[in-house]
Amino acid sequence: MIVFSHADSAGHVTPQGHPERVARLQAVEAGLTGLAVERRDCPIGLREDVLRCHPAGYHDQVLAAVPTEGWVQLDGDTFLAPGSYRAAMRAVGGIGAAVDAVVADGGAAFVAGRPPGHHAETARPMGFCLFGTVAIGAKRALDLHGLGRVAVVDFDVHHGNGTQDLLWDEARCLFASSQQMPLFPGSGRPEEKGAHGQVLNVPLRSDTDGAAMRAAYERLILPAVADWKPDLLLVSAGFDAHRADPLAGLEWEAEDYRWLAARLWEVSGGRVVSSLEGGYDLAALTESVRAYVEEMARLSA
Amino acid sequence: MTGKPPAEMAFEEAMAALEAVVSQLERGEVKLEESIALYERGAALKARCEVLLADAHEKVEKIRLAEGRVAGTEPVSGL
Repeated sequence: MIVFSHADSAGHVTPQGHPERVARLQAVEAGLTGLAVERRDCPIGLREDVLRCHPAGYHDQVLAAVPTEGWVQLDGDTFLAPGSYRAAMRAVGGIGAAVDAVVADGGAAFVAGRPPGHHAETARPMGFCLFGTVAIGAKRALDLHGLGRVAVVDFDVHHGNGTQDLLWDEARCLFASSQQMPLFPGSGRPEEKGAHGQVLNVPLRSDTDGAAMRAAYERLILPAVADWKPDLLLVSAGFDAHRADPLAGLEWEAEDYRWLAARLWEVSGGRVVSSLEGGYDLAALTESVRAYVEEMARLSA
Repeated sequence: MTGKPPAEMAFEEAMAALEAVVSQLERGEVKLEESIALYERGAALKARCEVLLADAHEKVEKIRLAEGRVAGTEPVSGL
């Protein structure tokens, strides 16, 4: 298994007290310590990579808004610091390199970048996110590598409204997402099915624990992925459904992420690229990333 | 979003506040960072509504059981 990361990801500095903070990267690194994975740097993403999902005008607006010092606030949650664009482009480059490697050789990869991406809509930054990293990875696999079938699973506690928006019309890509509901961003109802019925939303009630989560995945998400027979599975790996997370109210534990790694690997067809999304309790993030990556690495070896 | 504690609210007030919270969550106008606090506020309002409904239900039962007698004078518990 390959883990992609880059020092530039720490250049996305958020204001004091912001939950999506640089220290999350150190928490992820602590979780990766000693694991049998290959480490690679995220290459820098290109404008044309972003343009697989976003209009040029949107990309250029984000770039032009980047401040030379301090912050620019894009919405209630989302800030740009001087290093934010470069950080986001490392995440975009990381997903691209991870997709290239896994499509070529099979196996698994994990992209430990930030800011996260799954809330960024076609032309709207949102919920800490600038560019739809995972959707960009899916489009790369489809359009550059010519894969016929890609699946995206999003187990972040918040709905991946951005990924859903970016892939709404994409008949070649299944998007399956579990989320606490009601909670930010408010979307993710079962009735939201995509232009071709290729979107599957599984809302979970507050307090849903690991056992109930596993039952929901066994009943809905895992069979959908298995039936899709994907050439590549992308995973929006947010770890904020952990019971310790301050931004949500689900009751998962680190071992539930180990279980998810195992079951997602089993239904994937042997190619999985996961990308960090949320996870705001640092200790929970460390142990959850560790459990997830350790298991994915073990099975994909 | 802070406002009056739900425990001090009448039913109509708690219900209206709950509807406002649900509407805000559904419209997606809430910050990610504040969404969970708003959800917890909604849960507290829901609990308050349920307590008030249960109280009202108990009163109705008491009146029904007391038919033919002077209503509202006996505790329901122990019946």
